Amino acid sequence: MSRTALAYCAFLENPGISLPAAGVNGAPVQIMSLGKLRLLWAEVEWPFQPEHMQKNAVEFHSVVSHVFKQVAVIPFRLLSVFEDAEALRTFIAEHEAAFVADLERLSEVVQMECVVYPNPAPSQVNATSGAAYLHEKAAKLHAIEQQVQDVQTGLGSVMREVRVREAKSGTRIFVLTERGRAAEFRTIIERVPLPAQLARRVSGPWPAAEFLSEEVRAPQVASAK
Amino acid sequence: MAHGHRTLLFPMPSNFEPITLTEAGDGEVSLLEIIDHVLNAGVVIHGSLVISLAGVDLVYLGLNVVLTSVETALRNIHAEEKRRLK
Repeated sequence: MSRTALAYCAFLENPGISLPAAGVNGAPVQIMSLGKLRLLWAEVEWPFQPEHMQKNAVEFHSVVSHVFKQVAVIPFRLLSVFEDAEALRTFIAEHEAAFVADLERLSEVVQMECVVYPNPAPSQVNATSGAAYLHEKAAKLHAIEQQVQDVQTGLGSVMREVRVREAKSGTRIFVLTERGRAAEFRTIIERVPLPAQLARRVSGPWPAAEFLSEEVRAPQVASAK
Repeated sequence: MAHGHRTLLFPMPSNFEPITLTEAGDGEVSLLEIIDHVLNAGVVIHGSLVISLAGVDLVYLGLNVVLTSVETALRNIHAEEKRRLK
């Protein structure tokens, strides 16, 4: 086990923001300042214990959420650790301009998500027929495509930007919408007719992680080149 | 990339349950959604040196999200090479 610097999230300076006192494993949350960029981090024992991952994930989420409820944040992934605070500061300094630009661009928006997937209810199709199975599968795929289209059409002006991505869990629709319009987003989605063979789940608001610039989302680390 | 190693290094414990948390004003957020987001959404750190040398047993450090200094990385590689030669 060793001590490492765990990064939580970055946000723009704002003296009115309340900050969480403690985070993962009870470690005090610390703040790092570079220009108008602020970064929450903590010194933690590394690596994490697998049996504590659930708890660690919730604690990490709580810290990021605490700030995100007040202002836009750029979240780090839970396992983003640096050797020490100095390594973290060096990293942030290299990418400060890109972080600030993304935070300013995303300052008034949040990310909502809608995942569309085949209804897990047992199929009525004759399981012994391969042709029937393939036919049903094709119909579901077509229904999902149509549902994704219907959702986007329904969201209309609520949607600032959209990204659609296939995932194991289904087709995920990421939508950038103005902060404070999450309830409206949910209401609109509920009005979109859902075929019986499909299911969907809405979540959010989340930090706009899907809409980060490439330099911020997956920065190259100059010191490691 | 080392994305596939994530579940290997951090297997869900046997008592994993899809519990649901409630956040004021935000509706329900499931634990699975939280884990998905904290592990898969946001800044992912990967130094090219760490990635390119991952096959030389740096993966034990813990995925592409670990940032280590060049000195530390090289020290670990040399140690690993010595171990293999023994």
